[in-house]
Amino acid sequence: MARDSMPAMLPETPTPRELARYLIGPETAEDSPGHTAQLATLATFERVYRDLSRWVGSGGCHALFTRALAEARIVHPLLGGVQLQARSQPYLQGTAEIVDTHGGPATAEALEAMLVAMIELLNRLIGADMAATLILKSLPQSTRDAGFPNEKRAEA
Amino acid sequence: MTGNDRAVIRNLATGVPGLDAVLGGGLPEYSFNLVAGGPGSGKTTLAHQVMFANATVERPSLYFTVLGEPTLKMLRYQRQFSFFDPSVAGSAIQFINLSQEVMDGDLDEVLQRIIGEVEKTTPGIVVVDSFRTIGDRAAPSGQAATTSLDSFIQRLALHLTSWEVTSFLLGEYAEQEQRSPVFTVADGILWLAQAIDRNSVVRKLQVIKTRGQAQMPGLHTFRITNDGLQIFPRIPERKRPQERLKGKRLSTGVPGMDEIMGGGIIAGDAVILTGPAGSGKSTIVTQFVAEGLRQGETAVVAVFEEYPENYLAQATRRNPMLGEMVRDDKLRIIYLRPLDLSVDEALAAILDAVRELKAMRVVIDSLSGFEVALAPTFRDDFRESLYRLVGTLTATGVTVFMTAEIVDGFSFGRFTSEKVSFLTDEIIIQRYVELEGQLRRVMAVVKMRGSDHSRDFFLYDLTADGVVVGATLQDYHGIITGVPTHREESAKNLPLPGALDRTGTQD
Repeated sequence: MARDSMPAMLPETPTPRELARYLIGPETAEDSPGHTAQLATLATFERVYRDLSRWVGSGGCHALFTRALAEARIVHPLLGGVQLQARSQPYLQGTAEIVDTHGGPATAEALEAMLVAMIELLNRLIGADMAATLILKSLPQSTRDAGFPNEKRAEA
Repeated sequence: MTGNDRAVIRNLATGVPGLDAVLGGGLPEYSFNLVAGGPGSGKTTLAHQVMFANATVERPSLYFTVLGEPTLKMLRYQRQFSFFDPSVAGSAIQFINLSQEVMDGDLDEVLQRIIGEVEKTTPGIVVVDSFRTIGDRAAPSGQAATTSLDSFIQRLALHLTSWEVTSFLLGEYAEQEQRSPVFTVADGILWLAQAIDRNSVVRKLQVIKTRGQAQMPGLHTFRITNDGLQIFPRIPERKRPQERLKGKRLSTGVPGMDEIMGGGIIAGDAVILTGPAGSGKSTIVTQFVAEGLRQGETAVVAVFEEYPENYLAQATRRNPMLGEMVRDDKLRIIYLRPLDLSVDEALAAILDAVRELKAMRVVIDSLSGFEVALAPTFRDDFRESLYRLVGTLTATGVTVFMTAEIVDGFSFGRFTSEKVSFLTDEIIIQRYVELEGQLRRVMAVVKMRGSDHSRDFFLYDLTADGVVVGATLQDYHGIITGVPTHREESAKNLPLPGALDRTGTQD
């Protein structure tokens, strides 16, 4: 991986970047030939999109990602080729061409920036605590059981 | 089968202050409820309060959002309420968006999605917001679509009950739409409304139906604050205790006043003191409160005409201990928001304070300010509401001392301007009279139910220490005209002693 190592445990109040990397973390663990950082990030996007769509609706989720993409493009113009296709699989399209042109590490970094922008946006809209709790729900249960500091168990 | 075999219906605490009482003891478990009302009436907030009060990780609450307020915006606003715990969002409270299924217009798809989520998470509470939009999408026109909605509601209700879910369907319905099938199927119907009268808006809740238990009938006012909804149940009149606290008397703390009242105010009574501006009404009730505090009692004062700080500042000038009593929570001064108040809200605030402090003395200063503070819609039935308020307060055993301002300070034509004398046990009046060329204050006890009292008029003074009752005016007549004359001088047709003659020379 070209980027810094992923945090094994999430801090109590993670920054958007820490949260984004924590989300990507499980995908990087995939032990398959040719698995790359950008594929891990793409898989994370698909997972987060599916899960967020469950509670904000596919339309609401698409609106969030569209804004995040616009924000990330300011710093990473290479994302100009990315298209978001609501209610389709895959959700992010056009990334293969970007990898061909700019390389895997640069693409992965840009996609991570987009994920960070989406988390920042969600933080502003509903508060960082609730945003983190809801976003982390997209992680597999095993990952959440391993280190999920934000979830408070309600008393029965 | 015996009577003991019947299923026991547990009631859930709604978490909405006042609502459990209105529902007749809480929300019947596994009931299928409709919360109806116009936009902004508080349906969504009410549902969130119920969810947050009851949800656990084991039995979470599912909140299905349909077309209408976007989920993100709803969460953004709802989390501003103090009951909203963001840490349980996603676990004990789960939000699920059904917009796409509803937009597709396939009710089977909507039902299957709800059923699937319910079976997966086994929730304790399910909310569908807004159910109305489901009906609108399913039945844009025609009988077939209506039948389909009927079937959908029946199947949904059956499924949710089978899974032991307490459910709420929220929707914007008008009163004439009560023939909608959902009204028939629902076990409970809560109607939220906003009544507008001139520039005042008053929120009202009505429980139209609760199966299996007796709800509190009528319209109940409610307010939405940072803590969510608070309902002020329209408490029916309560009977006074038969035994009037065994004739115990409470000292007024006003020198000379207990004597003219046959030994003081009868404990548990409602007293009204009426007088013109500046006659010392607030001073007397403050002395009444201070006297109780000196004797180790606690007291509640409801003020309507000035802020509590100002009221306390005035009161402590003559009774410095009052500030300390407020700090020690032996005296509570309640300021009730003016201009959009309901009598039930005022009653709830006073009753809460009385219960918390175990207060024995309550002062309402003044009824005139209270009436002005009410939303216009409640002023029409002020007397009836006040009757319930006084009855409810005195039923708890507290002694209620109220003041009322009269406009004409020289006339004794009416005891009170509020026409509320019928609801009190004791009436004291204050007036101005012209006496020997001076403006003087007089008082008299007009009524004390079941007790002897002085029939005389008494002069009184407002001193640095408070009101002090002075001599009687037995030697004068015509006091109620505002210009009394001395009996002897009157008999001789001479001016009053000390009075000046027309030339300005003294007798």
